[in-house]
Amino acid sequence: MPEIVRRSFRLHCPPDSVDTVQDLLATVWGHVPDLDAADLMASELAIVELAANVVEHANMGDPVEFALSIVVYGDRVEATLTDDGRVDHVDLQPRAMPGGDAERGRGIPIMQSLTDSVEHRRIDGYNHWTIVRARRAGGSRPRKAMPSISIAGVIDEMARQRALDDMGILDTPPEERFDRVTRLARQLFGVESAAINLIDGDRQWAKSVAGRAVVEMARDESMCTETIKKDEVFVVSDIAADSRYAHKAVPGLLNFYAGFPLYAPGGERIGAFCVYDSQPRHFSVREAEMLRDLASWVQQELTVSQELSRASEVQQGLLPHQLLSLPGWKTAGVCIPARAVGGDFYDWYPVGEGAALTLADAMGKGIAAAIIAATVRAVLRSAARFGDVAGAVDAASAALTVDLDNAGVFVTAFHARLDMDSGVLSYVDAGHGLAIVAHADGRSERLRSTAPPLGIDPDTEWTVQTAQLDPGDTLVVVSDGVLDLYDGTLGSLDNLVTLALLAQDPWEIIDAIRARARGTSADDVTMLIVRRDSD
Amino acid sequence: MDITVVHHPFGVAEVTVSGRLNMVTAARMREAIEQAADANHPNVAVDLSQVVFLDSSGLGALVAGLKGVRASGGDLRLVRPAEQAKLVLELTNMGAVLKSFDSVGAAFPHA
Repeated sequence: MPEIVRRSFRLHCPPDSVDTVQDLLATVWGHVPDLDAADLMASELAIVELAANVVEHANMGDPVEFALSIVVYGDRVEATLTDDGRVDHVDLQPRAMPGGDAERGRGIPIMQSLTDSVEHRRIDGYNHWTIVRARRAGGSRPRKAMPSISIAGVIDEMARQRALDDMGILDTPPEERFDRVTRLARQLFGVESAAINLIDGDRQWAKSVAGRAVVEMARDESMCTETIKKDEVFVVSDIAADSRYAHKAVPGLLNFYAGFPLYAPGGERIGAFCVYDSQPRHFSVREAEMLRDLASWVQQELTVSQELSRASEVQQGLLPHQLLSLPGWKTAGVCIPARAVGGDFYDWYPVGEGAALTLADAMGKGIAAAIIAATVRAVLRSAARFGDVAGAVDAASAALTVDLDNAGVFVTAFHARLDMDSGVLSYVDAGHGLAIVAHADGRSERLRSTAPPLGIDPDTEWTVQTAQLDPGDTLVVVSDGVLDLYDGTLGSLDNLVTLALLAQDPWEIIDAIRARARGTSADDVTMLIVRRDSD
Repeated sequence: MDITVVHHPFGVAEVTVSGRLNMVTAARMREAIEQAADANHPNVAVDLSQVVFLDSSGLGALVAGLKGVRASGGDLRLVRPAEQAKLVLELTNMGAVLKSFDSVGAAFPHA
């Protein structure tokens, strides 16, 4: 049975609602001019009832996210709604229409009486609800059990879309490592355009374009959406002359096409690497092999992106997730790497009648610095179990010196113990020097560094210094990336003191820094705040 | 959705609804019915001629309105439901409970 139109939408309720669903449906019906008015009315009502039911029940009052796919065939309308709701109990037994004075409970019976099948599947924690309505033929409407024929494709497409979303690559800026492949392809094949296209919902979006290639277009008009149906090089030498694809030809831009699929880590075909031209053209077997080779180069770059974003998740996972349970104290922290991962970290954990606090900055940026930072965190954590604050830094320094030396890097660190009852902060500052105490009365005190960074001199004597945190006082420790959000000098610390004095809560300071760092930070931005409650 | 209310001298509040009467707008119409009915206007005529879409939520709000009005000794009747609304009333067997008329005068002739 020919497919007439296929559309999928993603909705977030709120702000989306059943009104949004109806607005989107109107765009679908526009593609089916011969849809009988009764079929249109029935399909629309059944889909709205389904959506209303999901919006109302799927997440027990919390916001709901769902995807809606509509496929219209010559003989039927099929709709699948997929929600990530927590509710998995579903009763789709045929229900009787409630009595005249009932205010609720008519949604599902209405849906059932208007459709020829209602199906529910739960796969990988998602609910897929599918309804099928047979279209009227010659004035009468066949009523029969009509299992969905689109559902397998819809579920595959959802998995494909999720895999693409998880890669975090959509709508990111151009990158040279991709652009050089498209540029090269264009020269190599002597074509006007080359692109790395990703198929996202109803659109095609290009991560990289060379020549006249377009960044975004409707999926219906895309050739790459054909390429992702199979694991092979897809070539159409003369698009206008091929009845299957002639409607996709664009005079002056697209009349020859060759592409090869690109994959997500799980093997889903998320897009294609392609070359195209305004003139029909032969594409030899050798050229097809070259295209495949270039596509595998792009594939490798995509994999690197994917691994980086996994590394970033792992690194964020190393930051403390739980607030310290320190009666009378509040703690807050943030770490925003300049790249996917970075060399900064902060840490806190309970020790005795208080807590250990750390903020450290490994030299450099990116993956190398991140590996060092993770090592320093682990060593300091295990050393903290033995001895006092100086003992911990000493043990960490001894354990790290060889590693840091081999890597040719050093690490600045502020490591402290806070006594919860007295407010005494004992600390070692290894070359960091970016800790201040903003006192409740407006005075501020910079906690100076007297020791070199870790990894410089294995024989360093780590001297412990102390500071007193009285009620209302705030300790602020930052990495140098925070100074760069102001004028980059130590004078920036005054701005932090002012922020600390004005803020009602440590998280307000974090939010202010986060807002300043948005999209502009060239260095890792990390901050740790401890405030003693006012009496 | 838009709602206009006209209080007729013969004891009927006429509530005219236009647009979609669904999950998003149902509560607003229900409130409008509650406020429209008062001691001098116990009866409510809901004009559905401009309602392009009615679903189970909208229908539920009409039933709630009907119950509220009846509790105060009045009645709620529908005026000229549009094609889609008629389908919903028929499908849910609610035509006998929420009766439809051609005009406000026909809905409440003795008022």
